[in-house]
Amino acid sequence: MEKISRYSLVFITVIVLSIGLPKLFWIFFEKPVKKPFIQYSCVNHDFLIYRSNEKIWEDTKGNQYSRDEYEQKLPLFFFKQLYISGTLPDSINHVPIDLKELAREKSFFHLRQGEIDAPVPDLFPLFESRSGRAMLEWPEDFFRITWRIEFIDAASNKILEEKSQMFSASLYHNGFVFPAKLISGITSQKKSCDEGYFIVDSKNQLFHLKMVIGKPYIRKIEIPYGLIIRHISCVDFKNKAFYAYLLSDKNEIYILSQNEYKLVKWPIEGYDSATSDLKIYGDMLNYTIVIEGYNYLKVIALDKKYQFIDSYSEKWDVKEDLKYGKIFASIFPAQVSMTSENSKYVRFYFSISRGFNWFLLNLALLAIHFALLYWRKKQLRNHFIDLGIIAICGIYGFLAIHFFRNKFYE
Amino acid sequence: MWRSVFYKEWLKIRWFILLYALVGFVVIVYIYLKLKHSFMFLGAKNVWGAILFQSIVYFKVFRFIPLIGGTIIAFTQYLPEVLNKRIKLSFHLPLNENKILLLMQAFGALSLFISFLVFLILFGIIGLYFLPEQIVLDSLITIFPWILAGFSSYFIVSFVVLEPMWIYRFFYFLNGAFFISIHFASIITASYRPIILSLTLMSILLSSALLFSGYRFRKGESWYGKN
Repeated sequence: MEKISRYSLVFITVIVLSIGLPKLFWIFFEKPVKKPFIQYSCVNHDFLIYRSNEKIWEDTKGNQYSRDEYEQKLPLFFFKQLYISGTLPDSINHVPIDLKELAREKSFFHLRQGEIDAPVPDLFPLFESRSGRAMLEWPEDFFRITWRIEFIDAASNKILEEKSQMFSASLYHNGFVFPAKLISGITSQKKSCDEGYFIVDSKNQLFHLKMVIGKPYIRKIEIPYGLIIRHISCVDFKNKAFYAYLLSDKNEIYILSQNEYKLVKWPIEGYDSATSDLKIYGDMLNYTIVIEGYNYLKVIALDKKYQFIDSYSEKWDVKEDLKYGKIFASIFPAQVSMTSENSKYVRFYFSISRGFNWFLLNLALLAIHFALLYWRKKQLRNHFIDLGIIAICGIYGFLAIHFFRNKFYE
Repeated sequence: MWRSVFYKEWLKIRWFILLYALVGFVVIVYIYLKLKHSFMFLGAKNVWGAILFQSIVYFKVFRFIPLIGGTIIAFTQYLPEVLNKRIKLSFHLPLNENKILLLMQAFGALSLFISFLVFLILFGIIGLYFLPEQIVLDSLITIFPWILAGFSSYFIVSFVVLEPMWIYRFFYFLNGAFFISIHFASIITASYRPIILSLTLMSILLSSALLFSGYRFRKGESWYGKN
C-alpha cells in the first residue's frame, strides 16, 4: 500500500515539476520576440515592413525609409497622421481622396487563435432590429436553441411561450433542423445597427435570424455544396459590404455579402485557425490579410474585388531556436502547461522538447541513480520502476523519486 | 472497529466541520443575495448579459472556500495526532496501521464530500431560481475544480502534517501548493471542462498520500537515518 502511495506521489510530482520547472526556466531566460508589422502599400505596390526592435522601416527589397516616408507610402493606413502633417495626397492611383470615404472604408478584424476552441455561451439576446430608437436597447429576454428556440425572460427566469412558439414555427417552416451547431452575432449594444444572428443548424445549413418589429425575420442562405462552416465572426464595418467572416472546416475564409447573401471565398492559403492569428486590414483600395503564427508571418494583399495581388512571408527564430532554448531542450525532456495560446480551455498541454539531447541527461541521471544504489548497497530489483521513471521522465523523475525516497526494503 | 475510529475523528472535527458548513452556507446565501441586489439595481437582463458576455463570475467569492475547508479539516484531524505523537497510540490498536490511517482519511474525506455536496446542491437549486440552467450548469463546471482543490488540499495537508522531517515537510508543502495552484489556472467559465476527469483521478491518487508519510512516521524517519 505504501508503495502505491509513493508512486502516486511520484506521478503527481512529475506532473507538477514538468509544469513548474520549465515555467521557472523561461521566467529567467525568455527574451521577447517582436514580430514585424507588415502592410501592403498602394503607392509602392509592395509590402512595407516596420521592425520595432531595430526601428527600421523597409520594403521587401531591403530599401529603407524614414518614418515619414514610410507613412506616406501607406497613406490609407496613416491618413489621419498625414492629414495632420499636411502631406495627405489629393488622389492615390487616380482615385480622389475623400476623408469621409477613407474613414468609411477602413476596417480591422482580428481572430485570435484561442478564440475558436473556447467555451461559448448558450444564451443570446435578440435585439429589436427596427426599434425606431437611436440607440439599441438590451432585450428583456434571451434565447437558446435546443429542440426548438426558447426565449427566457431574465427578470422572471421563465420561458416566454408565445414568442418561443412563433420563432420556432418560423424557423421550422424555413427548413431549419434543430438543434443549432453554431450561433454567431454581435452581442453588444455598441453597434451601428442590429443584424441579428447567423446560425448553422444540425444539417450544416446557414440561416439569418433577426427580429423585426417583434416578428421573426428568417432567411436561409445558399452555401456551396459540402461546405461545413466552423466559425462565424460577425462584423459591423461602416461600409456595410458584408455581414461576417466565415471559416470553413478546411480553414477557408469566406465573406457573406450584405443584403445579397452571397458567400465569397477569399484566395487565402496557409491559414490554420488553431495555430495562427488572423488580422484583416481593409481600406479604400485593398485588403491586407496577416496570418501570424508562432514563428512565421504571411501577408496577402487583395484588391476590393477580393482578387489576389501579392503575398509575402517571413520567419523568425523563436525561443526554442536560441541559445537558452537549446539549453532547455538539453535539460527538460518535455513541458506541460495548463493554458495555451491556441485555446481558452485548460488542459494538460504536453510538448516534447526538440532533438534528443535531453535523453543524454536522462541517461546521465540514470547512471547517477544507479551509482547511488550501488554505493548504498541496495538491491537493484527493488528499484527497477524508479530507474524506468528516470529513463522516461528525466530530471522530473529523478527529482520526484528522490523527494519520495524508496526505503521500503530497508 | 471502524465505528470507533470514525467516532474518534468525529470528536476531533465536529465543531470545525459544523462551523465550516455554516460558513459555506453563509457564503452561498451571500452570493445569491448579492446577485438579487444586482438584479434590482442593474436589471436582470444586464446581469445575465454580464455573466454571459463579459466573463463576470458572480460566485468568485466561493473560489477558495473548498480549499480552506480541506486545509482546516486536515489540520484538525492530524495536528493533535502529531503534536504529542498521539497517533502512535492508534498504531498500537489491534488493527492494521494502514487501515487505521485510511479510515481516518476516509472519515475526513467523507465529511468534506458531504459538505461540498450540500454546497453544490444549494448553489444549484438557488441558482436555478435566478438563472437559466445553462448558466447554472456552466457555473457548477467552473466550481468543480475548486471542489477538487478542496479534496487535494485535505490530502496534501494531512500528508504534510504527518511527515516527520521538517525539510521534507517544506518540499512536500511547496510541491502540494503548486499542485493546488493548477486548479486555479483560469477563471474563464467552464474552461476546465476537458480536464475535470484527469483532475478527479489525480485527487483520487492523492488520497493514498497519507500512507507514505504514515509509513515514515511509524519508522521514525529523521535527517540522520532511522531512530
